Amino acid sequence: MTKHILIIEDEPDIREATQLCLEVAKGWKVSTACSSQEGVEKAVAEHPDAVLLDVMMPDVDGLATFAQLQAHPSTQHIPVILLTAKAQPDEQRRFAQLKVAGVITKPYDPLTLADQIAEVLEIR
Amino acid sequence: MRSRQSSLKLSDYSAKAMLGNRNSFALLLHRITRRIRQSLELEEILASTVAEVRSFLGTDRVKIYRFHGDGSGEVVAEAIRDQRLPSLLHHNFPAGDIPREARELFLSVRQRSIVNVSTQQIGISPFKPGSMMDIRFRKVDPCHVEYLTAMGVKSSLVVPILAEERLWGLLVSHHATPRQLGERELHLVQLIADQLEIAIAQSNLLSQTRLRAHQEQTINQIATLLHAAPQVPLQTVLEQTVIALQANGGRLYLHSHFSDHRSGQFPPQLFTTGPQPQIPASWLQDLDTPPNRNSTNQPSLLIPPTPSSSFGEAHEPPSPSSRPSSPSSPSSSPHLEQHPHWQTWLEMEEPSPVSSNLWAIADLYRAVMPSDLAIAFLTVQIRGLLIVRLYYQQQFLGYLSLFRGEIDFERIWAGRIDRNDPRQLRPRRSFETWRELKQGQSHPWSTADQELVRALADHFAMAIHQHLLYQQVCTLNSTLEQDIQQRKQAEQKISALNAELEQRVLQRTAELQQANSELSRQIADRERALTKLQQTQATLVRLGHQLELILNSVAEGIYGLDTQGIITFANPVAAKLLGYEVEDLIGQWMHQFFHHAKPDGTPYLAAESPIYLTMHNGTTHHCSEDRFQRADGTSFPVEYVSSPIREADQIVGAVVLFKDITARQQVEQMKDEFVSIVSHELRTPLTSIRSTLGLLASGWLNSYPEKSQRMLEIAFSNTNRLVRLISDILDIERIKFGKMPMQKQTCNATDLMLQSIDAMRAIAEKAGIQLSVAPISVTLWADPDRIIQTFTNLLNNAIKFSPSGSIVSLTAELHQAEPDYVLFRIKDQGVGIPADQLEAIFDRFQQVDASNSRSQGGTGLGLTICRGIVQQHQGQIWVESKLGEGSTFCFSLPLVTPDHHDSTL
Repeated sequence: MTKHILIIEDEPDIREATQLCLEVAKGWKVSTACSSQEGVEKAVAEHPDAVLLDVMMPDVDGLATFAQLQAHPSTQHIPVILLTAKAQPDEQRRFAQLKVAGVITKPYDPLTLADQIAEVLEIR
Repeated sequence: MRSRQSSLKLSDYSAKAMLGNRNSFALLLHRITRRIRQSLELEEILASTVAEVRSFLGTDRVKIYRFHGDGSGEVVAEAIRDQRLPSLLHHNFPAGDIPREARELFLSVRQRSIVNVSTQQIGISPFKPGSMMDIRFRKVDPCHVEYLTAMGVKSSLVVPILAEERLWGLLVSHHATPRQLGERELHLVQLIADQLEIAIAQSNLLSQTRLRAHQEQTINQIATLLHAAPQVPLQTVLEQTVIALQANGGRLYLHSHFSDHRSGQFPPQLFTTGPQPQIPASWLQDLDTPPNRNSTNQPSLLIPPTPSSSFGEAHEPPSPSSRPSSPSSPSSSPHLEQHPHWQTWLEMEEPSPVSSNLWAIADLYRAVMPSDLAIAFLTVQIRGLLIVRLYYQQQFLGYLSLFRGEIDFERIWAGRIDRNDPRQLRPRRSFETWRELKQGQSHPWSTADQELVRALADHFAMAIHQHLLYQQVCTLNSTLEQDIQQRKQAEQKISALNAELEQRVLQRTAELQQANSELSRQIADRERALTKLQQTQATLVRLGHQLELILNSVAEGIYGLDTQGIITFANPVAAKLLGYEVEDLIGQWMHQFFHHAKPDGTPYLAAESPIYLTMHNGTTHHCSEDRFQRADGTSFPVEYVSSPIREADQIVGAVVLFKDITARQQVEQMKDEFVSIVSHELRTPLTSIRSTLGLLASGWLNSYPEKSQRMLEIAFSNTNRLVRLISDILDIERIKFGKMPMQKQTCNATDLMLQSIDAMRAIAEKAGIQLSVAPISVTLWADPDRIIQTFTNLLNNAIKFSPSGSIVSLTAELHQAEPDYVLFRIKDQGVGIPADQLEAIFDRFQQVDASNSRSQGGTGLGLTICRGIVQQHQGQIWVESKLGEGSTFCFSLPLVTPDHHDSTL
């Protein structure tokens, strides 16, 4: 079953490579946003099956974006998977306390990224 | 002479009276005379005489009657024929039997009498030498007749015997029957009486001679004893003397006398034999001083008044051999002779004619002796005394006393005196023998006795003197020997004492040495202890100073608490951290004063506070991130260590060392952020690289060559980014730790500026930016590569953040305020930097717009590296900017100095 994944990522190279990775691995529909604002708007508009959200972004970071998504009735049910380069243990602990569907640490393995997302979605 | 006279008388008688029987008469006379002369013993002479006369006269009884001194008399010789008359031998007759008138006639005219009782006639014939017998007869006194008749005598003849012109006795012839005696008989008896007188005289002379010889023998014997040896056996001599004097006791008292100054006074000595009187008790009471001291202490009381005053110098050492048999001792009663009453009595007693120092008391009852003394003698049956005071050359020596007891006399009397006729007016009727016994009679001292004693006294005196001298010598010798002995003993003692002293000195020296060494050791110990104490005190002072210094200089706050949590001390840092003065803290309850709270700001309950636990459990607690409140009400995080203060295992409080960890927390936060950023910055390009390369490697893009190419470009681009990032990070680390050496040299500022512009020209052109440069030709002392790196970093930033078409200029000028510096400016026309970030942008990864920066290929570390390089050149870097009006980055570098030139050259 084809999934629709929204990638919110400020790094263009990562955004592009991740999109391609999900598309070619699973054939999923992938839309992207380069900022929090854009991402929230797309999520509201497109109702993706999941949001792959970068944490460290200028202006509004991923956590704030998540909060916005949680706050919006139309997006609060969308599972959000954090995609982060913050790999410090305390950071990870902080992420675990959030009601996110999953946390994937950069640099992720492109060969298993889609499987990881699928697993999260299936659990849900 | 007497013999010649007798011969003459006999010759006279022969010539005139011998008529018929001349030869027998002469023969008789011759025989009688011879017999008389044959013996010198009077008794024998008398016995021979009465026998011859009775034989011649042929009468019944011839006797010789001897008168006693009192007029009585005794028949001392007698011859009786056929017991015709009773024997009267040794019979005594009272003095009245021969009246004194008759005795006087016997003496004065040597009257002889012939009585014929039958004829009542008495023939009286006074003796007339050279004349014929003249006998006158007359009637005899009837009394006389009666007396003779009572005796049984009918006729008698009496011829007086004279001796030394005294009536010695009578030669008497009695006959029981009447018998006529005539001149012839009278003549013969007279001749015999004459011979008797001669014999008596001779006998007396003999007796005297014998007595004298005996006395001399006694004297010699005693003198021999006295002078035989220097050590006089006074006791023996006394006993001999007593025997010689027929005494029954005696005593020799030697007066006390002085010896030399060392021997002191010899006590009086007493030698006794026989019964001795006890000193009367009344005499003892009269003594002023106790008897046992009187003998030695008060001799002057007892010294006779005459004649010696030198007696005090006499000496008499008592020696064992001459010790009296009844010796006196100083502790016994005083002697009679010592008592003043003795001397007083003797002065009153009449001395003997023989010597003024001799008293012969025949009968104590007749002496003037004090009654108590007399009783003392009489009690021990002493009746007579002979006392001689002993002197030697005016030196009084003592007394020699001899005692005689009472004796009994027995007399045989012829008939009793008629007690009723004391005048004896009537002749006695009976001459019956009776014995008279007189008991308790005194035994008088004869003149011979007294002379003997006087003579002996001289010898005694000499001997005693010698004895005293000997005793003195003995005493001296003894004293000398004693002295020598004492001296020897003293020397031995001294030697022993010396040895002991030496031993003691050695011992004491050893003890002292030991004590000294001990003392020295103790002193050394004390000095060491003192030094140690001083060092300790100095150390304490130093430690106090150090502690104070430490307390004052440590960066941490330190305060102390008692068990109640009251602050007892605090250092200035503690006060400063809390915003108080030290004085404000002392005495405060810490918990309330500091508002001790947990890291999250929750106040501790006092009992739960770790500091409280330290005070009460003694546990040490190391806590961080608790919070204390300052004076102004703000709180700050602290890290502290609370340790118990113990004294003798008792917890008396706690000391708390704390520091404000606000800055540290900030640094840690920054560090965490840095690590997070670095991690993020590294992982970001790596994520791109890994994902693209993963896709390529998966083969999923094999059908999409454009996509594969794109992935490769992304991978390569991010690889470069990663290289720059790593290079910058390494540069920053090297700069930070001084590991980036600056290769400084003289270089021209213009060259460096132009090279930098050239290096950035391509980028600028690509970004549509125009570069402007206004170099200055100054010489710098710098590492040209690093300066160029600084220029290019700043130019790159300016280009990145400037809109296309704008101008980025690089200018230089000398620093106005600091002429030794050149000031470079890189000015852009970008968006500018907010004022609050003008400082922060020089920190790591503090780009104003990170995404923009990253989109511009920056690492976020360029400005940090620039600041490090400029600071390494002793320059400064800053930014002047207004948001929307562009920014101007400025940095200064020092100009080269002559020193730099020298070092270059």
